[in-house]
Amino acid sequence: MAQQHQLLVIDNPEKLLHVSTRRTFLKTLAAGGTIVMLPSLFGARGAGSEVNPSAWRNGIQLDLSTDTGILNYAFALEQFEAAFYTAVVASAGFRTFTPEQQEVFADLRNHEVIHREFLRAALGKSAIPAIELNRTALATATGDIATVLRSAESLEDLGVSAFNGAGKYLTDAAHLTLAGKIVSVEARHAAAIRDMRDAMGVVTGAAAGTRFAGDDVVKPPGDAYQGLDVKLEPGAVLTRAAATGLLSTPVSIAKPPRAAKGTPDSGPPSPTP
Amino acid sequence: MNDNETLIGSIEPDIKHRLGDRAYQMAHGADTSSAVRAGLTMASVPVMLAALARDLNAQSASVTSVLNFALMLEIFESEFYKAVLGTTSSAAHKAAFAGVRGKVSGLAGATAALQQIQKHEASHIAFLEANGATNSHKLSADSFDFTGGKGSGTGPFAAAGSDLDVLLLMAQGVEDTGVRAFKGQAPNLLAAGNPVVLEAALRIHSVEARHASKIRRMRRQHGAPATVRLSGAIRGGGSAAAGASNIPSLGAAAVTALSAIYAGDDNTTQAGVNLTTLPNLPSGIDVTAAAQEAFDEPLTRAEITAIVQPFFKVPIPSA
Repeated sequence: MAQQHQLLVIDNPEKLLHVSTRRTFLKTLAAGGTIVMLPSLFGARGAGSEVNPSAWRNGIQLDLSTDTGILNYAFALEQFEAAFYTAVVASAGFRTFTPEQQEVFADLRNHEVIHREFLRAALGKSAIPAIELNRTALATATGDIATVLRSAESLEDLGVSAFNGAGKYLTDAAHLTLAGKIVSVEARHAAAIRDMRDAMGVVTGAAAGTRFAGDDVVKPPGDAYQGLDVKLEPGAVLTRAAATGLLSTPVSIAKPPRAAKGTPDSGPPSPTP
Repeated sequence: MNDNETLIGSIEPDIKHRLGDRAYQMAHGADTSSAVRAGLTMASVPVMLAALARDLNAQSASVTSVLNFALMLEIFESEFYKAVLGTTSSAAHKAAFAGVRGKVSGLAGATAALQQIQKHEASHIAFLEANGATNSHKLSADSFDFTGGKGSGTGPFAAAGSDLDVLLLMAQGVEDTGVRAFKGQAPNLLAAGNPVVLEAALRIHSVEARHASKIRRMRRQHGAPATVRLSGAIRGGGSAAAGASNIPSLGAAAVTALSAIYAGDDNTTQAGVNLTTLPNLPSGIDVTAAAQEAFDEPLTRAEITAIVQPFFKVPIPSA
């Protein structure tokens, strides 16, 4: 193999936080290559600002024309949920929650973290990088039980919508089965959160005891899709995810899914009541 | 390009689209019949197209088979809840559940919850029938033995008619079975190359999971053990996953039935990954339990059929 002069350009401080960049940095040094660190690297970003690993120029871009891309889409959502529930359990308010609330949120954190780490392991080198949450927005979202519950309902129904909309784009039966194993757990979560809010009487309109699978998420009799749960195409999911204000890493679609869209979108109420 | 000048153009537009999708599916490992494979190995394009066109009809039959199977289960569920609620057309079923019906209405929100569930099962029946499924075995309320006694009326779940805890346990088993059944059929719909039906099946599957979660929560709120999670997830596998220790009178036959319903749910390895040894898990938690809860498991058509057959007075076809 011909010797090539190695050139590594670091134009963004966040790149230094990535293992792959650090490895290349050392290899380049060892091989006598050139490392260029652009002036912007050292520029002040404003007093008190912190290096935010999420500030990739274009954020995370998903190629949904492949199973890998769709699994990364799932991985992104699981990262989001896991980070939210981790923050909930770690919040100062957690110890003021009822025993039921503590049990549910600890379970949800455990399950979403396992989903996240499983997908990360399964995707291996193909895994997208870490998605960061906006700390200020997160503090607000975890500030009181009512907001926590509303945010949780929003996230779980969004997760169900996402899996139900994206499952049909998978081409490998093993991937579809894995997605199926996860989505039913997300639906269990969604029902549990909705049921808790039902019992607290925080949402009016539905008959008491029915919110776990209310008419606002499961199509009522007479509808062409009666009895069917929420479903959203990836673009709509990512728009809603961004609208929560909780994500500081932009996540977008670089390539759309390859096949038919299936049925019209049918999402949970937005905003979440 | 003028389609009329090509061989492909001489085939009606709808078939063209489906042929393309089907070819894509087969290139990605979907099941094909030997006739199709034989057709494809011949160099003749007209023979290949004819084989693919015949395959499309066979594919529709496979989708129909899945939909009919789903319909059978939905009718079973719907008739079960109608029996409990007293809205069944069967006087016998209405009487059998009269005792527990009052206890359900004594539990805040319980009747409304079961009504919502039954409404969904009825909707699923209507949706499936509107999309190609047929009740070819003419199942009705009278087709079922809700005690699980193969028509004897004295099966393992007979107490569900009078005991609220047994009734809720049975409902839990019914819903969890439904989730596992739909999950098991998803690959068949993928292989059949029908994304619209696959999506609909996923959307019904998640509704059943919501039902299952609600029933678990109701049970826990009525004295079921802490292994029956308020998050609605399933902990453990086999009969332990049923969380029935609050019903000491539950007989061996019922425990056997529950073992089949929850067989394999204690799985903690997914796609070769041992979930319990993943990095970055929270500290101080029961990792095995969390790993069991985090993933639900499918069951095959044969496994589901074996579980539900004792509740049907007619033999359920295997295909």
